[in-house]
Amino acid sequence: MTVLTVATDKGGVGKTLLCQLLACALAGRMRVVMLDADPTAALSRWAARAYEGAPFETVAEAGEARLAHLIAAKAEAADLVLVDTAGFGNRAASVAMTSADAVIVPALVGEADITEAERAVGLVAALARAARRDIPARVLLNRVRRTTLTRHALAELTAAGVPRLGSSLSDLVAYGELTYSGRLPAQGPAAAEVAGLVAELEGLGWLPVMTTLRNVVIT
Amino acid sequence: MKTLKPRTRPSAAEALAIAAETAPMLPPAQMPAADRAATLNMRLREATISAIAAAAKGQGLTIKQLVVRAVADTGVAVAAADLEDRTPRRRGR
Repeated sequence: MTVLTVATDKGGVGKTLLCQLLACALAGRMRVVMLDADPTAALSRWAARAYEGAPFETVAEAGEARLAHLIAAKAEAADLVLVDTAGFGNRAASVAMTSADAVIVPALVGEADITEAERAVGLVAALARAARRDIPARVLLNRVRRTTLTRHALAELTAAGVPRLGSSLSDLVAYGELTYSGRLPAQGPAAAEVAGLVAELEGLGWLPVMTTLRNVVIT
Repeated sequence: MKTLKPRTRPSAAEALAIAAETAPMLPPAQMPAADRAATLNMRLREATISAIAAAAKGQGLTIKQLVVRAVADTGVAVAAADLEDRTPRRRGR
């Protein structure tokens, strides 16, 4: 139903981590399919070996032609198709952006990250124009600390007119532990941040809102 | 009259075409592995080998070409390079 692509040409900014966090948060609420378009297959390896939450389907596919058909097929069957991409410019990532309903561009606060994030948002805009459809893209800052550097990065994004999510991910040990434990803490700062991110994405219409009817009395 | 733009997701073929047209310089995420030549040995009766060799000579083919073409005709995905005569030629012959 919804295709959400996580992409930027910069490596090591948290693309796979974001997919892992969203899988932990959403797999129990909806039918999630993860398409791992990164040749390192880090996401699918994590899903197979470490992840302990509600089940979701993972397919590793870095070839752009097969990925394009997979996205189309899985979008018909799943509530959410989440596409993780490689940390360098490549055809599979462009196809995943073109097929997406929305694109999240993770970035750290360094100059290279912000520059590549701006470039990624620009590429999504170009693909959207070519496809004649809206493909919104927003930057998600990762490993954020309350520093002058972070404030400067935010100012740079604003000055460049690059849209960003209000949510961000802090530099938390829990996120690193997740890559080994396969579990996201149910409470604490990490859980709160991820819940806030999910709420923001739902508010933007980037995630399907799954309603559950409880205690409904029909008279 | 205003052009109304579709908001539906492009098909797989359309997505591939749009991505190739918009960002043609991008490489594939993964390079296909090199399809290198290897050796396949078979133990056959001398009579069979003689018959294959005669048939190949009669058709102007190498033994390998004759065998591989027959295999390809059954629907096996034979590499195009294996259908060619790649016998090393000596200069002047």
